[in-house]
Amino acid sequence: MEISIGRRIGMAIRKYHMAYLFILGPVICTTIFFFIPMISSFAFSLTEWSGIQPPEFVGFANYQKLILHDRRFIKSLINTTIFVILGQGSGPAFGLISALALNQKVKFRAGFRTAYFLPVMTSLVVVATVWKMLYNEAGLVNFLLKRVGLPTTRWLMNPRTALLSIIVTSVWQGFGFETVIFLAALQAIPKELYEAAMIDGANAWNRFWHVTLPSLRPVIVMIYIIGIIGSYQVFDQIYVMTGGGPINSSQSIVGYLYNNFTYMKFGYASAVAYVLFAILALFSYLQIRFFGQEE
Amino acid sequence: MKKLLVLLSVGLVVVLAACAAPATPVPPTPTSPPGVTPAAPTPPEVTTITLWDYYGTATPFQPEMIAAFEEENPDIRVKYESLDWDAMFEKLSVALTTGTPPDVATVDMTWVPTWAALGGFADLGSFSGGEVNGVPFDEAFTAGSLEAMTYEGKIVTVIEDFDVYCLYYRADLFEEKGLEVPTTWDQLVEVGQQLAEDTDSDGVPDKYLYGYWPDPFRWAQFLYENGGEILNPDNTEAIFNRPEGVEATQFFIDMVNKYRIAFDIGEEEAIPPIKDGRIVMYADGPYMMGVMKDGAPEMEGMWGVALHPYSVQRGSYLGGTGLVIPARAANKEAAWRFIEFAMRVDNQIGVYKYSGAAPGLKAALESPEVSVPDPYFGGQVTLPLFLEATETAHHFPYVRQWNEMYDIIEEAVTSALLEEKTVQQALDDAVAEINALLAE
Repeated sequence: MEISIGRRIGMAIRKYHMAYLFILGPVICTTIFFFIPMISSFAFSLTEWSGIQPPEFVGFANYQKLILHDRRFIKSLINTTIFVILGQGSGPAFGLISALALNQKVKFRAGFRTAYFLPVMTSLVVVATVWKMLYNEAGLVNFLLKRVGLPTTRWLMNPRTALLSIIVTSVWQGFGFETVIFLAALQAIPKELYEAAMIDGANAWNRFWHVTLPSLRPVIVMIYIIGIIGSYQVFDQIYVMTGGGPINSSQSIVGYLYNNFTYMKFGYASAVAYVLFAILALFSYLQIRFFGQEE
Repeated sequence: MKKLLVLLSVGLVVVLAACAAPATPVPPTPTSPPGVTPAAPTPPEVTTITLWDYYGTATPFQPEMIAAFEEENPDIRVKYESLDWDAMFEKLSVALTTGTPPDVATVDMTWVPTWAALGGFADLGSFSGGEVNGVPFDEAFTAGSLEAMTYEGKIVTVIEDFDVYCLYYRADLFEEKGLEVPTTWDQLVEVGQQLAEDTDSDGVPDKYLYGYWPDPFRWAQFLYENGGEILNPDNTEAIFNRPEGVEATQFFIDMVNKYRIAFDIGEEEAIPPIKDGRIVMYADGPYMMGVMKDGAPEMEGMWGVALHPYSVQRGSYLGGTGLVIPARAANKEAAWRFIEFAMRVDNQIGVYKYSGAAPGLKAALESPEVSVPDPYFGGQVTLPLFLEATETAHHFPYVRQWNEMYDIIEEAVTSALLEEKTVQQALDDAVAEINALLAE
């Protein structure tokens, strides 16, 4: 005998009513504060809307302008991609190197671990403000460069160095997180694997390449997914350190979105948000598809 | 189990109810024992108005001023909320959008174009009858201020303090070196070169300079002084790439790159380079008098103020702080009563007294409490100079695209300053972009 869907739902509710009741609150909150705004935002992205006057439906014109004609958006997309590539190219590497070092029997290991993790715990705005002072014309960075006879510059006011300076700050601030995650993963690798490799004559490099790295694969995938998603949403440190300047040389996608918000172009800003969403969804899909499937 | 379910359901309802907006306050009703008729008359219904203020602790809306207003208006209570300048912009943007704005807010006059063009502010003419405290608007404010307060024939804001740029200069150094305060651009270069010093012998002067940020406020000073304009009279086309605009921008960047008399202050605030002697001249508004007194009190007597040197004519941007009533405010009449109270001479003097800024009301500016010799500026009576500067000042164009135009102009000027583009190319690109925006 076939059971109707309605009846099946009824049976499920009767069976799991307590569980449904417990998740009711979070579901309502998520729907109100997450899904409805998301759907509304997509609807707004199809309009020209100042927030005060009624929205005017423009179809996909915002997307068309954004992708085909808006050089500022393209610039912010390129900047953000550079931020992601350089930041994710170096941050996790520093995290892995420091984790490998801390995984040895070094003195003051706990102290080092705390020191590496301290910037992660510090507010990004505070970190950015301190680094802004370091990069100042009369700041520590230029002082040290002058002492060793190297040329100085106004790091955050030079279009060639502004973005790079922010990346250095971001990597410094963030790699402690990767260190701690990698360290935990390294300590979970069974010692037997290393013993077996040594019996087979594997040297240190071979043990790292054939034992450590494959064992860390799920963690690496997780770190890159979190890292890339987070990096594409970079905003705070750029807002504090350069405001996206000079000449848009450090503007990010979220910074550009924010600017459109201040221009009272809510429809256009929503379209920027959805393009960012599409980029993140694509990256997440590709990473899980190619690197994380078997995990 | 049923009990648990009921308990959880009640809990959920309570949580959701707690999330709901508070009910509109109802005026307190006097209670009396049954059968006894109350002798006292029913108190008037109390309206609470919300005031959002970005002045901070140096606000002219001091608790005593608000208390005096409430005493005089027992039917109105003021809910005062202090916000940062940045936070105000964001919060008011959201509030105007969602229809939950305050009844009165302080706004930077440069924000007015966008919001006024979108119909975000109430027409104050409809409450005021064209007068503030019985004085017609055109007598209460200077012509420049009144123009800045007006959008498409409607008064959309009342200017609480005005901002117009004059030249701040180190009077002690000028005296020591026997220099006259420059009145023209040529003299500015001449004096600047006599003042500038290269302390680290790298060929670039680094002390006793004219300091500026390459933003539209400072750039517009030079544009106007050279006879240029940002937009044409009907605000449909950008025209600052015309010869007078190109010349002005060229001079603006040549002060740094060619004459070596100026420097871009960059990411710093003004006070550190003022204190360490990198800045000995700069253009800014009257609010800086208060900032300098707070930030560099040890420099008392060392500074002077003069009208800014010009090329063809005097000119400056005109801005400041305005008081607005949002179009969707709940208590507009009560809000206007508060604005009128704030615009009384005594309360406007508080703008100078507490904020160190220039009161918007002419009568307050001319009062003996405000136009007094200022020991910080060597006993100079400074505010009349700023008042004089308003006569030739221009507010930024009243178009809804102004915020975006601001960023485009800043980018163009910075590109020219950093020699990424020629002045003509930078301005042409910016004009093309702005014209496309205006055409939307």
